[in-house]
Amino acid sequence: MAKRIVVDPIPRIEGHLRIEAKLNGNNEIADAYSSGTMWRGLEIILQGRDPRDAWAYTQRICGVCTTVHALASVRCVEDAIGAHIPPNANIIRNLMNATQQTQDHLIHFYHLHALDWVDVVSALSADPNEASRIAQSISSYPKSSPGYFKDLLKTLKTFVESGQLGIFSNAYWGHKGYLLPPEVNLIAVAHYLEALDFQKEIIKIHAVFGGKNPHPNYLVGGMASAINPESDRAISIERLAMVKKIIDDTNDFIDQVYIPDLIAIAGFYKGWLHGGGLGNYLSYGDFPETDINDVDSYLWSRGAILNKDLGTVYDDVDPRDPAQITEEVSHSWYTYKDGDEKGLHPWDGETNPKYVGPELPYKHLDTDHKYSWLKTPRWRDNPVEVGPLARVLIAYAKGNDDIVGLVDTVLGKLKAPKAALFSTLGRTAARGIECKQTAGFMRRYYDQLIANIKAGDYDTFSKNRWEPKRWPKDCRGFGFTEAPRGALGHWIHIKDEKIADYQIVVPSTWNASPRDGKGRSGAYEAALKGTPMVDPEQPLEVLRTIHSFDPCLACASHIVDMEGNEITQVKVV
Amino acid sequence: MKITVLGLGNIMFGDEGFGVEAVRRLQAATDYPPEVELIDGGTQGIYLLNIVEAADYLLIFDALIPTDQEVKVYTYRDDELPAIIHRKMSAHQVGLSELLTLAQLHGKVPKETVLIGIPPQNLDMEVGLSPAIEGLLPEALEAGMGIVNGWLQATG
Repeated sequence: MAKRIVVDPIPRIEGHLRIEAKLNGNNEIADAYSSGTMWRGLEIILQGRDPRDAWAYTQRICGVCTTVHALASVRCVEDAIGAHIPPNANIIRNLMNATQQTQDHLIHFYHLHALDWVDVVSALSADPNEASRIAQSISSYPKSSPGYFKDLLKTLKTFVESGQLGIFSNAYWGHKGYLLPPEVNLIAVAHYLEALDFQKEIIKIHAVFGGKNPHPNYLVGGMASAINPESDRAISIERLAMVKKIIDDTNDFIDQVYIPDLIAIAGFYKGWLHGGGLGNYLSYGDFPETDINDVDSYLWSRGAILNKDLGTVYDDVDPRDPAQITEEVSHSWYTYKDGDEKGLHPWDGETNPKYVGPELPYKHLDTDHKYSWLKTPRWRDNPVEVGPLARVLIAYAKGNDDIVGLVDTVLGKLKAPKAALFSTLGRTAARGIECKQTAGFMRRYYDQLIANIKAGDYDTFSKNRWEPKRWPKDCRGFGFTEAPRGALGHWIHIKDEKIADYQIVVPSTWNASPRDGKGRSGAYEAALKGTPMVDPEQPLEVLRTIHSFDPCLACASHIVDMEGNEITQVKVV
Repeated sequence: MKITVLGLGNIMFGDEGFGVEAVRRLQAATDYPPEVELIDGGTQGIYLLNIVEAADYLLIFDALIPTDQEVKVYTYRDDELPAIIHRKMSAHQVGLSELLTLAQLHGKVPKETVLIGIPPQNLDMEVGLSPAIEGLLPEALEAGMGIVNGWLQATG
């Protein structure tokens, strides 16, 4: 009899992701359904406001992705009103973006994703001398002595024995899906703690250039970062020296910890190549070297790949084209006034919520009909995956030297074929490869900025379009960024100096979308299909694949639960 | 010595923005010495670990689901704070309790931590507090200022 598993983090507000998976008789996932929330009503909050303030609101949509929404929003407004930003502002935005990517990927790997591969309880039985030997054989990272691992074991044991399993509770320890020996588990736990300690440094760069962190300042027309090498109130020589040190330390940490860990862990899992999914990939591109309108200058290329065909990259991706980007609602709890069958481009987007799902509390969603608050975005009618794997594959297919070198090195060390990239493990590896690349970008933009300052260019803001009277009466704009988890687009319509409409398509909507009108799955659903489960009561494999996308769905909620209710509810029915 | 007042929550969802709003009002109403820092933490989760670990005394304003449903200002100190941490679907689900546990693993827990919270009455997507919570704000701020003043006096 077909079983159905439900993985559902209980929401405090409508802000969650729910997966329902049907199993066949061999405990393989025969079909999967992804359901999630959407930020209904954002356009109502923004309508009538000053477009120059939009970034400050959009950055609050999502708990952690503040910078990326702020960046997409200022680019969007600048696009609409025809503002250009000075070179320094472009460099500073790139530097802040590279910083965000690097920190986010590092946190994702260790904090969210590592425990899908690493068994903390197994680490308790590790031999610290052997852990030390292995650690020293894969990396020159100095914290690798037998004494270091002995101390860590002691701390961990005390922590676990005192009943404060804390961060390590409510997981699937001992699950047969965990394949690492105790010593490698111990190394990974050590670096989990080190990485969380280290990542705090990286983001200090945002405070330097954005004035404060969290919630750094952005500005339509440039950046609000005054540069004055002599002043202690502006970006000074001293602060730049601090930035330089953070960048150097970050590159060291990724080279000595993240990448060796990734390769070591992947070595034990290279037989587990499930979770590939769609094989269609999209990236808007990012990191403009000159001007945002010069798409060819992007260090991350814009493009699309279909059917895993690395021989063809579609270079003509155009998010302004109503025939390219559409959002459908055939399986979403919305209606369109001209019928739910036809997709709408975001500039013509509508958000009319209409819940027709089962009454709470329910056992199952009505997956034959509407079952999600997410809309279904499509590129030229294709479901696509966005995120690090999409970007890395597009760069690889286009022959980008850095990425080809890194990908081939990682595949070579793992003795894995190119086809291994199309998997959950490939997605996780792509994130690490990209993290190394963006840490290098940080250095590049720092050097560019220093060169400009030395040449006497302190300009970070262009005021020529600041005054609304210089704007067109009626204009539309598109702004974007490649956020850590994928393509993020903002579309604005400005009328009489105010926001008439604002639509956002976030990366997780692409990846977690429900089926489209033709019944085709989005990236999460497709990736889960065919995955064998060791134990359906403990859906480690589902979490592993969904986490590999770095889901962004539980945004925006920060309510403390005094009863300590479980977040993930796993049911076999 | 560092006293940190941290406002948590999302201003886009009605009363979810209580913590941030409380810190903004405190910012406007007080003139603390430099060792007191008021921070709008939003919903930054794990990204706030540096702030939690750097604090000697930590006061947090946040929306919370209380064990009973009475609409009033709740104050929890140190051991009363929830210690249970959950398995997550998203990196964005890192809550206060997890931050405190991680700080503990790093051996960098504040000497004292106090949470002042309210049960949200409206979580719709709109900016601004509901009348019920707006009405509780003066009491919450009063309680917060009392705690900060106590710390300032105790540490001279």
